[in-house]
Amino acid sequence: MLSVAVGSVSIPLRNLVQILAALPNLGNLPIDLQPLATILFALRIPRTVLVALTGAALAGSGASYQGLFRNPLADPYLIGVASGAGLGAVIAMTLHWSYSFWGLMAIPLAAFVGAGITVLAVYQLARVGNAVPTTNLILAGVTISAFTTALTSLLMITSSDEMVRAFTWLLGGSTLSGWRPVIAMLPYIVVGLGIQLAMGHALNVLQFGEEQAQQLGLSVQQIRLTVVAAASLTTAAAVSFAGIIGFVGLVVPHLVRMVWGADYRRLIPLAILNGASFLLVADIAARVVLSPQELPVGIVTALGGVPFFLWVLRRTRQQFF
Amino acid sequence: MVNTKRIFLLVGMMIALLTTQCTAASQPTATVKAALEEQTPTSAPITATPAVSLVDGLGRTVELAAPAQRIVSLAPSNTEILFELGAGSQVIARDDFSDYPEEVKALPSITTNLSDINIEQIVMLKPDLVLATEINTPEQVKALEDVHITVFYLPNPVNLEGLYENLETVAELTGKQDIAEKMIPSLRNRIQTVEDRLKDVETSPVVYVELDGTDPAKPWTTGPGTFQALIIDMAGGKNAGDEMSSEWAQISQEELIVKNPDFMLVDAVWGTTLEQVSQRPGWQVMKAVQNKQVVPMDFNLFSRPTPRLVDAVEMLAKLLHPEVFN
Repeated sequence: MLSVAVGSVSIPLRNLVQILAALPNLGNLPIDLQPLATILFALRIPRTVLVALTGAALAGSGASYQGLFRNPLADPYLIGVASGAGLGAVIAMTLHWSYSFWGLMAIPLAAFVGAGITVLAVYQLARVGNAVPTTNLILAGVTISAFTTALTSLLMITSSDEMVRAFTWLLGGSTLSGWRPVIAMLPYIVVGLGIQLAMGHALNVLQFGEEQAQQLGLSVQQIRLTVVAAASLTTAAAVSFAGIIGFVGLVVPHLVRMVWGADYRRLIPLAILNGASFLLVADIAARVVLSPQELPVGIVTALGGVPFFLWVLRRTRQQFF
Repeated sequence: MVNTKRIFLLVGMMIALLTTQCTAASQPTATVKAALEEQTPTSAPITATPAVSLVDGLGRTVELAAPAQRIVSLAPSNTEILFELGAGSQVIARDDFSDYPEEVKALPSITTNLSDINIEQIVMLKPDLVLATEINTPEQVKALEDVHITVFYLPNPVNLEGLYENLETVAELTGKQDIAEKMIPSLRNRIQTVEDRLKDVETSPVVYVELDGTDPAKPWTTGPGTFQALIIDMAGGKNAGDEMSSEWAQISQEELIVKNPDFMLVDAVWGTTLEQVSQRPGWQVMKAVQNKQVVPMDFNLFSRPTPRLVDAVEMLAKLLHPEVFN
């Protein structure tokens, strides 16, 4: 409600109620409420859904990666999804697609494909025989991320006429507004998060260590493959349509863990819900703090998230003493 | 202690749930969309012959029932063109970077951060035309289209003929064809005068345009295919960056020394002075520095596709070839 009511154009609450009440037949609305209705349905509500989905996707994937890699610094971009998506998007921009439905869709689709190819490359690089050791995955991820980021920068410099567009995309924020990106990313995020939700028990067992887990009967290889695939799919979909928003995937799982404990069967769904609300709050702040100017959401998540995170960290620490 | 945190985060979850409830309840249906379309005047299907029907730079056919009276300009070059054509009173909002002529600063700005535009405010303004150009992204055009706002995308000209075409286009969109009919031949004449004077000139001084000299070993300059390169060429000069492989490129200082520019143009806004340039290690060997030809100029004249490009050509021609412009 809050996310829908807030924005650079103030919609008084009674107008909001009026518009929503007139829902079945918007033609009856008085003429001065028409633009407000347009703003509400064509802009605000899809944006709310987009932001919520993105937050959910990033936090859920972040939690899964932290469980899989048993590393508190893991975030959804660890194995190259973000940098791969950036490269894909910038390559598509330099190809100058025509202005049409598919021409515009080409950018997020290319970002998605770029992310997929990068994760595949990382996976193959990290492979040792039939196994894919976790350390290798992280190393390969970092290396290939650096490589793709450099390629992206090079492309941006040599096709400087697309520089503004590429820069805007990389900064984050939804560049395709309306319902289209929401509908496009929904299936991937639902499927991806669904699979991750099912991995909760397996991730719990994995916390004992990979050898232990293997001895306990878990097929560690398969689990790793499934989690990486599902989390990458989810993150790629989120990044392709909402840009690269940092911090959410890293911090929200930690916050949830501090409050509700580290049982992954609970952690993942809670991370999903809290991720959604966290990003919604950040997005509201981004629109309101310097109104009518809008800050990129990534800046708000970092600036706002860090002090909040530190505060929670201090409070939980005091409990243990 | 932990309880308060739990409550807080629970509230957080509830906000998320509430919002999703809200949005689930308000999924726009086909009837809603149709109603929105019907009500917004700019998207009413034009049944009579439209007064204006043009194809824009993105291949879109744009139709207006009458010359636009409520225009939002998304780029400084567009704002300049609109005001030069005498359509200033028809402009209701501008982007943040529009600054010429002086009176545009009084108009409200609808950019949110750097290059993002505030679509909500544009909707509230109820414009009948939004004038975009290559500095705006196709995604922004689409976003405006999706809320039923008429957008015209003016492509960047590659030469002055393209500029004249753009002037004619905007004149048609705003009903100022009579002004354009006088302006374009006048601009052509001025260029013709410059060309005539330069006809018998044999020298072609090398001009180095410094876009960013923060790192003097690798300064940014303009490459081929830019407005600056076009102006330098028309003013009878040679662009020091004409062998660069992109429109803005970092040229190595060594390469620049080899090119040995006769003139160095710096942005008047940045305030780079001759003294500063002379102090850069190795720069004293350049002719431009030795002859004290480090010239500050208003780079807006050189980078915006507006009639002021002709001003820039005249200015630069006089600088490069003073002997034929007395």
